[in-house]
Amino acid sequence: MAESIELEVKGLDFHYAGNIHALKKINLKVYKNTVTALIGPSGCGKTTLLRCFNRMHDLYPKNRYEGELLFQQQNILDKGTDLITLRSRIGMVFQKPTPFPMSIFDNIAYGLKLKGISKKSDLSEKVEHALKHSALWDEVKDKLNASAYELSGGQQQRLVIARALAVNPEVLLFDEPTSALDPISTAKIEELTETLKKDVTIVIVTHNMQQAARISDWTGFLMLGELIEYDRTDKIFTAPSEKLTEDYVTGRFG
Amino acid sequence: MLTIEKRRKLEGFLALLFSTLAAALGLFWLVFILGDVLIHGVGALNLGLFVNDPSPPGVEGGGLRNAFIGQFIITLFGTVIGVPIGVLGGTFLAEYARGRNISRIISILADIMVSVPSIVIGTFVYAILVRPVGHFNGWAGSVALAIIMIPVVLRTTENMLSLVPWTLREAAFALGAPYYKVIVQVVYRGAATGILTGILLSIARVAGETAPLLFTAFNNSFFTLNMNQPMSSLTVTIFQYAMGPYDSWHSQAWAAAFVITIFILLLTITGRLIIKWRYK
Repeated sequence: MAESIELEVKGLDFHYAGNIHALKKINLKVYKNTVTALIGPSGCGKTTLLRCFNRMHDLYPKNRYEGELLFQQQNILDKGTDLITLRSRIGMVFQKPTPFPMSIFDNIAYGLKLKGISKKSDLSEKVEHALKHSALWDEVKDKLNASAYELSGGQQQRLVIARALAVNPEVLLFDEPTSALDPISTAKIEELTETLKKDVTIVIVTHNMQQAARISDWTGFLMLGELIEYDRTDKIFTAPSEKLTEDYVTGRFG
Repeated sequence: MLTIEKRRKLEGFLALLFSTLAAALGLFWLVFILGDVLIHGVGALNLGLFVNDPSPPGVEGGGLRNAFIGQFIITLFGTVIGVPIGVLGGTFLAEYARGRNISRIISILADIMVSVPSIVIGTFVYAILVRPVGHFNGWAGSVALAIIMIPVVLRTTENMLSLVPWTLREAAFALGAPYYKVIVQVVYRGAATGILTGILLSIARVAGETAPLLFTAFNNSFFTLNMNQPMSSLTVTIFQYAMGPYDSWHSQAWAAAFVITIFILLLTITGRLIIKWRYK
C-alpha cells in the first residue's frame, strides 16, 4: 500500500525560552490514516514534539523552532502560517479532560461556531455526528443541555475528542489522553483511535508502552530530545535496531 | 520548672484564650453598632421617609426621598463607570500582560489604591470635576465612587481569571480560537461567579462611602434627577442630619443608617452565598 505523507519533520530543533534545547535534529514522517505513537522516558521531548505540530508553543514567548515541519508539503513553521486555520485542521486532546464550563451541546458546538457555522439545525446535526463518532452519543443524547462537568472523566475525554472531531480536522494530536483515566475508559478510547484513523491521522504521546504497541502503526522512541529510532511499531517492539530502544521497550530503564 | 508537656499545654491554652478574647471584643462592637442602628432605625422607619422630600429645617415630617434616589443614581453610575474599567483592566493583567512586570506593578498599585483613604479620592475628584465646573454635581460623586471601585474589581477579576486552569485556554486555542474569544467565551464563563461576587462586594464597599461624596455630589435638600446638579445621598444626609440640631433629623438619620446598613449587609451576604454555592 502506497502511503502518503501527512506530516514530515525535517531537521527540527526546538528551544524553550531560556535556551533549553528540547528537541535536537528530529526527522520523521507521519503517514496519512495511521496512528503514530511517540514514546520515551519523562522529559524526553515527546510532548514538546507533539505540541510543535499545532504550534502550541507559540502561546508562550521566546520559544524557538528551527528546521522544517511540513503539513501536506506546506512548512507550517513559516512566518505567514495562519495559526487559527492550522489549529482547526490539526486538533489536539490533552492529558486531563478539558471540557469548557458550558453544556455538552455547547462544548461540541464551540469549534463549529468558531468556523462560522451558526444555523441551529446544522449545529445539531454536526454535534450528533461528532458524538456518535466518538462513541458518546448513546450516553449523553438525553442530556445534551446538562453541564459537561456532570460527565465522568472518561466521558469528558470522549467529549473533548468529539469536540475536536466536530471541526473535521485532518490530524488529531493526543497528549497522553488516557493517563488520567480508568482501564475501561482507556479501552474505549483505544478502540476509538482504531475507528478514527479511517478519517484522520493520529499522533499520540503515551507513557504506556503496551498502549503504543496495541494501537499504533508507527512508533518513535525519543530520549533527551533526540529521536533514537523511528519505525513500524511491530519492528520497534520485536526487533529494534538500536540497543537503547531495546533496553527501553523491555523495561530496563524508563 | 514546668515539664515541656505542661508548658506546651499552657501555651496552647493562652493562645486560645487571647484569640477568643480578641474575637469576642471585635464581635461585641459589631453587634453593639448593628443593634443600636436596628433599635433606633426601625423605630424611625415609616413610609413617608421614602415618598416625601425633606421639609424645611425645624419643621416636623418630611422624608428622604431625594437622598434614597440620589444614592441610587450615584451608586448606579459609579458602578456603570467602574465595573467595565475594573473588569477589562483585570483581564489585561491576568491575560494579555500575564507574567510581565507591568502586570505586577499595576497589581501592587491597585492594592495601594484600595487602601488610599477615600477622602483623598474625594478631594482629587473635587479638583478635576467640581472646581472646573464651578459647583458640586452628581457626576463627580459617581466618578469618585467609580475610582474607589476600580482597584477592587480589577484585583478580583485578575485573581478569578488566574484561577481558571491554563489547560482550558490551551484547549480553546487548540480548536483555533483567537485569544479574545478564548477570554470572552471560555475564561469569563469559568470565572463568572467569582467576578460577579467581586462586583457585588465592591458595590457594597462604595455604597457606604461618605467622604468622597461630601466633596463631589455634596448634598441637595431638593429632589433632583439631574446629575449636573448637587445631589443628595444617604451617607452625606446621615452626616448632616446627625450633626444637626433637630430631633426629627436625628431619627431620620437613624432610619437612613438602618436602610443603608441593611442594603450593604444584603449585598455582602449575597456575595458570600454565591461564593459558597460556587466553590463548595
